Amino acid sequence: MSSKILVALRIAAPPEAVFDAFVDDIALWWRPNPLFSFTPRSPGVMAFEDGRLVERLASGKVFEVGQVRVWERGARLVFGWRQASFAADQDTEVEVRFEPVEEGTRVTVEHCGWDSVPTDSVARHGFPDAVFLQRHGQWWRGLLAGLAEQANSR
Amino acid sequence: MSDTRKSLVSALSYRDPRAAIAWLEKAFGFELTFLVEDADGNVGHSELSFGSSAIMVGGEWSENHASPASIGGKNTQSIHIRMTDDVDAHCARARAAGAQIIAEPETQFYGDRTYRCRDLEGHIWTVGAPVEEVSIAEMEARSGHKISTPS
Repeated sequence: MSSKILVALRIAAPPEAVFDAFVDDIALWWRPNPLFSFTPRSPGVMAFEDGRLVERLASGKVFEVGQVRVWERGARLVFGWRQASFAADQDTEVEVRFEPVEEGTRVTVEHCGWDSVPTDSVARHGFPDAVFLQRHGQWWRGLLAGLAEQANSR
Repeated sequence: MSDTRKSLVSALSYRDPRAAIAWLEKAFGFELTFLVEDADGNVGHSELSFGSSAIMVGGEWSENHASPASIGGKNTQSIHIRMTDDVDAHCARARAAGAQIIAEPETQFYGDRTYRCRDLEGHIWTVGAPVEEVSIAEMEARSGHKISTPS
């Protein structure tokens, strides 16, 4: 998988606590971005459940963002990431690493596979590739900032 | 979201920004905080942090952006790393990663211990940390220069 977005941040909490905040509290720290919504009826409420990341919509429907592919508490989390508009052969993947550092945890998000989504896909809003990846990366920055606040308040 | 980023950020051009990012992590202890790579693996944008500051690392993305490696080693600006840790240890780490040490660590008349080096593509970096508090009068005595202070 190519076309990579990488965002990293240090959070003042142990890796296990940051991991738990990521998966258990995702409904609290998630910040929906209308540019990158998963479905036309989003935003809903995010949750990790039954081995997958889902968005629970107001209608009661549950949209599966992706299956969890790796679940190593306090170390590594990998899950698929698809929008409702994706064709069957389009798929992206998010890998989150939790590394212990002096002050707590260095959290790194790598979001790969956007090259499988054509530049004329509705998911890209007509942005040139570089601009799309940049804006998506900035969103991840905001998401990690939200995660940091949540992990620090647990 | 509060924006804690600094008002001034240096952006450096490298022929091989991917190699530069890995080198800056290894040699200087910089930490990659943001990276966008296109479908061909080219670095579109990157940011590395050190202490309370950050730099951007990119390629030679226009006719007017060049790595020192492409222009005979010339630098038109250089970055100073201000740290509080052991400058000699930092220098040893940089040297082990392949930095060319231009000036070995030395304590300056103004009380900072500094060294100067070139990185893998010839960018010049200076690194310093305060090791001694020196009065203006003492700086003048040591350097033989009149050092005026804003009044």
